[in-house]
Amino acid sequence: MTLAREKAVFSWAGYDDEAPPPVVEARDLARDYPFGAERVHALRGVTFAITEGEYIAIAGPSGCGKSTLLNLIGVIDHPTRGEVCIRGQNVGGMRDREATAFRLRNIGFVFQRFYLMPTLSARENVELPMAEAGIARVERAARARELLSYVGLEARERHRPAQLSGGEQQRVAIARALANRPAILLADEPTGELDAKTGAEIIGLFGRLNADGTTVIVVTHDEDLASSAHRKIHMRDGVIVPG
Amino acid sequence: MIVLLFTALGLVQQPAPRTIAIDERLAADAGISIGDRVIVSTRPNAKGGDTVVVSGIVKRGADPSEIARSEYKIRMHLDQLQSLAGYGDRVDRFAVATRDKAATESALAAINAAAFGFEAHRSRDIAVGTSKTFQVVSRFHKAIGLITIVASAIFLLCVMLLKVEERRRDVAALRLMGISRTTVVKAVVAEAALLALVGSALGIGIGWAASQFINWYYQGVYRTPLHFSVITADIVTLAVTLSLVLGIGAGLLASLRLVRTPPLALFGR
Repeated sequence: MTLAREKAVFSWAGYDDEAPPPVVEARDLARDYPFGAERVHALRGVTFAITEGEYIAIAGPSGCGKSTLLNLIGVIDHPTRGEVCIRGQNVGGMRDREATAFRLRNIGFVFQRFYLMPTLSARENVELPMAEAGIARVERAARARELLSYVGLEARERHRPAQLSGGEQQRVAIARALANRPAILLADEPTGELDAKTGAEIIGLFGRLNADGTTVIVVTHDEDLASSAHRKIHMRDGVIVPG
Repeated sequence: MIVLLFTALGLVQQPAPRTIAIDERLAADAGISIGDRVIVSTRPNAKGGDTVVVSGIVKRGADPSEIARSEYKIRMHLDQLQSLAGYGDRVDRFAVATRDKAATESALAAINAAAFGFEAHRSRDIAVGTSKTFQVVSRFHKAIGLITIVASAIFLLCVMLLKVEERRRDVAALRLMGISRTTVVKAVVAEAALLALVGSALGIGIGWAASQFINWYYQGVYRTPLHFSVITADIVTLAVTLSLVLGIGAGLLASLRLVRTPPLALFGR
């Protein structure tokens, strides 16, 4: 089964018309944090582009700036300098309301700890972002079933998170992240809470998702997960270094 | 001739003993039943007295002013009471039943004008006068109720803050997924309102059970049909309304505190 993807046409200045347009573009991206009287330079001018349909792993030691970069791509944080564009739109200066609406329709998040709503069933959890986006009940129920079937949980749609294993919960979380057909899927250590076998299943699922057209960006320490990506962005001390 | 004959034979019927009615407490304590003959007199162990037949056992009225008094009551015919008490044609107090308000007013005027020293009062005025103690008790109850409401409000707010605090990361995840602040606030407030409704339903249930127990216990102790504790529709309405208002207020405060915190801070980053 494959997911129906909506291909948008963009005009990107400076890019070859033949090349796929970048879905994420970072230019001289920097982020400083105040730390007492000093400033910590978490990101020190990062430039890169990710084209639609790519599968990227951002890797590096703790404190190298991976999560800061993920926060900026995910429109959760504002850069101190530089700009980050998603589907051609500069998202760095968005206010909270605008950023929230942007995330809802353009970015799917997968967390290390799933964060499913405990009182909702698997299907209701998947429907949550669609309900927020104002999608009609019948349509979102059908889409949630389709997504749960895609991640292999069609038989578990009525189960609550507590009735699901860690791997199943993560698969529900992935289905939820895909609910509004996002431009990119951001995953922060998605196999961090899973055993090796279940982690391998999730890695396989990410591979399948990407093969079906989803742009996937994962931040991970997991070498297996990083190796499954098409491209690795290695980071150290807030900058991208050659792998 | 016939009367004389009966007298000679000793067959002249003695006048039948008069009848009285006694209250159920006396009947229970003294083991008296209907049809029993008893002697009534104005003082304990007094010589003489009238032998009467108990023809009725009267249930006690639900009168709060009689609760603390350990008195027994009997009802007897007025002429017999007069003769027994030696009062003759004299009473200290008497009650007049009237048909309507106009009759009450005219009876009041007639009695008050009858002679110096006569005082007539409406039963309602007497009830108000004798209820002053209960009014003070009622004010105490209101004060206790107010303190309970304030304490409950603080408790509810703390519960909501704790519940919301537990969900910091869940809410952060929701916000990152693109769920708006308004939706988060609505969800928390709806949950708080539901919690308040369930809480008030439980409270009403517990209150009703406690009320039943209190009434059963004190009706037994004081042997009275008086209801010591009553849960009325007004009380239920007030409790649910207050609970909802407090619950929604607590939910609103807790959720606003939560959504004003940036999602990354909620994640502890």
